[in-house]
Amino acid sequence: MKTIPCNPAPKRDKKMQKVKANDGVLTNFEVLNFLRSRGAGKDLTRVIAPIAPSEFKVYDYLEQTAACSQTRGSIISFVGKSKQYKLAEAEILNLINIRPSSVVEIDPIVEECDKRMGEGVEELVEMVLQVLPTPPSQMQSDDQVEFNKDDVREG
Amino acid sequence: MFYLSKIEHTLRLPPHLLNLPINQAIKGELEGLFLDKVIADLGLCISIYDIHSIDGGFITPGDGASTYTVMFRMIMFRPFVGEVIAAKLKESDREGLKLSLGFFDDIHVPEHLLPMPKQFEPESGNSNQGRWIWEFNGDNYPIDAVDEIRFRVHHVTYPSLPVEQEKASKPFAPMIVTGSLDADGLGPISWWV
Repeated sequence: MKTIPCNPAPKRDKKMQKVKANDGVLTNFEVLNFLRSRGAGKDLTRVIAPIAPSEFKVYDYLEQTAACSQTRGSIISFVGKSKQYKLAEAEILNLINIRPSSVVEIDPIVEECDKRMGEGVEELVEMVLQVLPTPPSQMQSDDQVEFNKDDVREG
Repeated sequence: MFYLSKIEHTLRLPPHLLNLPINQAIKGELEGLFLDKVIADLGLCISIYDIHSIDGGFITPGDGASTYTVMFRMIMFRPFVGEVIAAKLKESDREGLKLSLGFFDDIHVPEHLLPMPKQFEPESGNSNQGRWIWEFNGDNYPIDAVDEIRFRVHHVTYPSLPVEQEKASKPFAPMIVTGSLDADGLGPISWWV
């Protein structure tokens, strides 16, 4: 009996078109929130949640940054309050993602910050510290400092 | 760091997925196709954000599977020039530093973008690997793997696929981010805090 050879199915997967390369910028918090809403944080085994291993790597990275303690409300209010400093959108995005806690950390983010802002830099740092929540790594170092001071007083 | 990109793709849905609801089947296929892969000029694909529309569903003659044209949005990792990112040190040698973000490893800081004046201290036994040290006001600040390093993106390149690769060469990197540490506030966080 002769077997009829069958042709392999024509490959139709190769047509990909970029419709819009930049459909919106996302802050680190928004990506983290998206992964959390799909169940990234709740599953300790990492097998049950419908999230790929590469997405878990992104989740692990974002949990280490300032984004892990931010809220939607704090970001919206930060964007509103930063309008008076006339910062570029890229600079506001950098500030939200990095959450600098001192003037020297603002320097690589805001270009020519001496010329554009002068004294306003310190106000900007104050505003960042007030509006955006403290990331856990900074809270740990603050707690350690307070602990040492208590020891000195008791001794 | 992250952008949304809208993409339209024509894909073939294998027949063994016909029992699943169509959204789930298409999302699974798209994830298998795109996740953790680099698209030139768009960046590294992180996640499928949402599916806008699914068209088609026609079965071509000679084929057992249906073909769909899907319009969807994806989260892409595409750092812009001037962005400040915190990363971990992976390797340090004479040519500069290699940093890693966990999900993305090809971040190079060439030695001419390290803060001046600088010095290279080779490891004993291996003269190519070693530490870089920044000299400032008479103090030595080494770049160690202790804490995170903040760098500013200098440029992003997407080298094209090589036709042939030698056996001993480094694995091909489809997206390379070049960073610089040459400004106040950049470098290991412990230098400034």
